[in-house]
Amino acid sequence: MQPNRMLPNRSRTSVLVFLLPPLLLYGAAVLFPILQSLFLSFFSWNGISDMEFVGLDNYVRMFVADDIFWRAFLNALLYLAICLVLQLGGALLVASLLTSLRRGRELIKTLYLLPAIISTVAIAFLFVRIYSIDPVGLLNQLLHWIGLGSLERPWLSDVNTVLAAVSAPEGWRFTGLYMLIIYAALIAVPKELEEAAVLDGASRWTLFTKIRFPYIRPVWITTTIMATTYGLRGFDIPYLMTNGGPGQSSELLTTYMYKTAFTSTDFGYASTISVFIVVECLVAVGLILFLLKRKAES
Amino acid sequence: MTIQAPPASPPAVVPPRPAVSRRRRKPNLFRTLSRVLIMLIVIVQVYPLAWLFLTSLRTEHDFATGDPFALPSSLTWENYARAFETGDLGRNILNSFIVTMGANILIVLFGMMAAYAIQVLGFRLSKLVRGLFLIGIIVPVQIALVPLFIDYSAVNLLDTYQSMIIPLAGFSLPMSVYLFSSFFEYIPRETYEAASLDGAGPYRIFGLITLPLSLNTVVTVVLVNSIFIWNDFIFANTFVLSEDLKTIPLGLQNYIGAMGKVDWTATFAAVCVTITPLLLVFLVLNKAMIQGLESGATKG
Repeated sequence: MQPNRMLPNRSRTSVLVFLLPPLLLYGAAVLFPILQSLFLSFFSWNGISDMEFVGLDNYVRMFVADDIFWRAFLNALLYLAICLVLQLGGALLVASLLTSLRRGRELIKTLYLLPAIISTVAIAFLFVRIYSIDPVGLLNQLLHWIGLGSLERPWLSDVNTVLAAVSAPEGWRFTGLYMLIIYAALIAVPKELEEAAVLDGASRWTLFTKIRFPYIRPVWITTTIMATTYGLRGFDIPYLMTNGGPGQSSELLTTYMYKTAFTSTDFGYASTISVFIVVECLVAVGLILFLLKRKAES
Repeated sequence: MTIQAPPASPPAVVPPRPAVSRRRRKPNLFRTLSRVLIMLIVIVQVYPLAWLFLTSLRTEHDFATGDPFALPSSLTWENYARAFETGDLGRNILNSFIVTMGANILIVLFGMMAAYAIQVLGFRLSKLVRGLFLIGIIVPVQIALVPLFIDYSAVNLLDTYQSMIIPLAGFSLPMSVYLFSSFFEYIPRETYEAASLDGAGPYRIFGLITLPLSLNTVVTVVLVNSIFIWNDFIFANTFVLSEDLKTIPLGLQNYIGAMGKVDWTATFAAVCVTITPLLLVFLVLNKAMIQGLESGATKG
């Protein structure tokens, strides 16, 4: 019946003693708030007056009448795409290159990971200066030097570049984390497999696509899920650097939800957006599992 | 399992080269190219941080007028003096330390307890509980902000250390539970059976066998979570108002003055000061930390 049970004489009480405190904390901090958000999403409430039940009004407003919501949703998807390319693409590239190095691997791993330990507030300060045009920041100066001076611009106040500009720091920050994970998987690929393929005349590219990548696929799925869920919860850097602006050019669902809740004190509608974000995350994870697993079977 | 030559499917992105020279010379060229590429990428990762530090030593005039890539014309520690005048950095660091410690104690203790109940004691709904913990890994932390804000104000927890510690610990708990349960799988069943025969109950076994054996996992869990908790911005920003409780990320925001005017060199000095504690831990323990981050993903 209970294959997991290792202690023959454990009592029911002892299970509760060990399980209840963690479940209470987790319930109070995570599970209950999710249910509460669901509940609040059917109400109109500013935190002070009486709560008013409005049925599905908030959802109708969100899907039908709120242009900012859709704008924020599209922005969030683009933000996610940029983060994924930088984080996973960069991670896979560096991890693969690293396996061909003979020395200095540990040092490079450490250096590459360094941005991950810096707080988002510090990163926001740093990148405001990098993108700055007066006094000229690192990016504009670099463009000037390599002869692309025409591209110089105030990256954070140009509506065409601001979203990419707030996404890049997030990608930059965590690519080292994913690189570590992918690198650990890559060096676990059995050497015999690779050597046999090389003897058979496989090029580096075929070696990668036919041997290495299939071998690390489970880890790749995990990292993709991690990077996606982290990308969808992106908040700090856009909030701190532009607060969603100029206009709504860099508004994400999370920043929009935050402002709806704590600037407009519209708790009901903010909860509706929260519910949407939860559903979005669950759908994203489901999609990744579905797509990547199916590909593995074919 | 025999290894076959890759099927002749078309994705030959690598341009065809004479097969003979490939094995002799190309690896060297490839290796040189990868080195250059890696160097470039590492520079992109590290240079901004080095620049941050250099800027914190520049004079204000030098910063406002000079070429950003140039080395400082003269070094000054004045920015650091101003940084300590403007903000209460010591207080901020202490607060971050309290929150990180508090959350870590909960994460380690509760994570270990839940994993012990699930993996060692076992019970009928253990699969369900595992599944519940998965939710906390998938959903973004922001969904808890509004409900917690409302709940905290109902029970007077707004503007306290607990208001930050509870959600930080709650959202980190799942990963901790998974890490501990995957470690507990490796403790041989016989160890428990022997202890049981000696008359030890579940509490003594937890204290005398499971806990001491899992010290390595404790280090992993603490290191991985500390990075995120030390740097938490969103919970602190939402639940904390008073200066006395501000953690580092909030303290740094104080450097944005009225009208959004920022004393950049002093701000960068403050950033350097606040980065230092975690940076030191990271550099000293980087093997353990790197291992922790690797296992955190693959087992979690």
